[in-house]
Amino acid sequence: MTSVATLPAVALIVRSILLLLVWWVLTLGDRSGLGFGVVVAVLVAWRSVRLFPPSGYRLRPLGALLFTGYFLSRSAVAGLDVARRLLSPSLPVKPGEITLSLRVPDGSPRWLLANTLSLMPGTLSALLEGDRLTVHCLDTRMDVEQDVREAERQVARAFGLRLPSADGAAQ
Amino acid sequence: MIETVMPAAQGVLLILGCLLFAVGTLGLFRLTDTLARIHALTKVDNLGLGLIVLALLPLAPSFLAGLKTLLIWAAALAASATAAHLVARAVHAGREAPGAEDSADD
Repeated sequence: MTSVATLPAVALIVRSILLLLVWWVLTLGDRSGLGFGVVVAVLVAWRSVRLFPPSGYRLRPLGALLFTGYFLSRSAVAGLDVARRLLSPSLPVKPGEITLSLRVPDGSPRWLLANTLSLMPGTLSALLEGDRLTVHCLDTRMDVEQDVREAERQVARAFGLRLPSADGAAQ
Repeated sequence: MIETVMPAAQGVLLILGCLLFAVGTLGLFRLTDTLARIHALTKVDNLGLGLIVLALLPLAPSFLAGLKTLLIWAAALAASATAAHLVARAVHAGREAPGAEDSADD
């Protein structure tokens, strides 16, 4: 993928603008802090490009919107699910771990998947080594793998990616 | 009509949100292993904070203030996902190096 999105300079500008928007919201549009905000936004964007170089994958606007909806509903279910288990006298949990290989590519898609999985029902991203993700499950009797695969499909759609149909082999 | 329904709905959301925080903390006591406790804290607290943010949104004095409230929620979500992952990774590192197990299990 050698689109414009992989150029560090483009990433620096895009990230600076996004951070400046955050600054604008944080200061409630106050103009007196704007100069300071520009300096901070550019410095932070520069650091972030050094630490997390652009991977060339970009969120599609519609895909991102659909993903946000999916994520919010799933994380609400996650909260209610854990709350129900905690309040139940028998405490129905059966912690355990599964390891599976991810099909979304390295970079932002894999990062987004690992982070959102931690806020979805029954899963907690514990270890990410290459394409091997170890997920801690609150209840191993649930079909955790199916949930992870569904989340993976949603992430792929948010980035406009097509997943390889066979299991395992990413890239 | 709307004047009476709104405060009532906000009150319900606020109370539910606070109750969820309490349940999340209950999880710290009821669950025994570190990773299961993380499940309770991240997921239940996020939902609790979400309900509180929803209740406060109609009170925001301006559009930007409302955005700022949502931003706080987003920042809390990102922070708890990252913290959960870091704690989980520390637990794993502790298992591989037996000497560090005590500190990771606290």
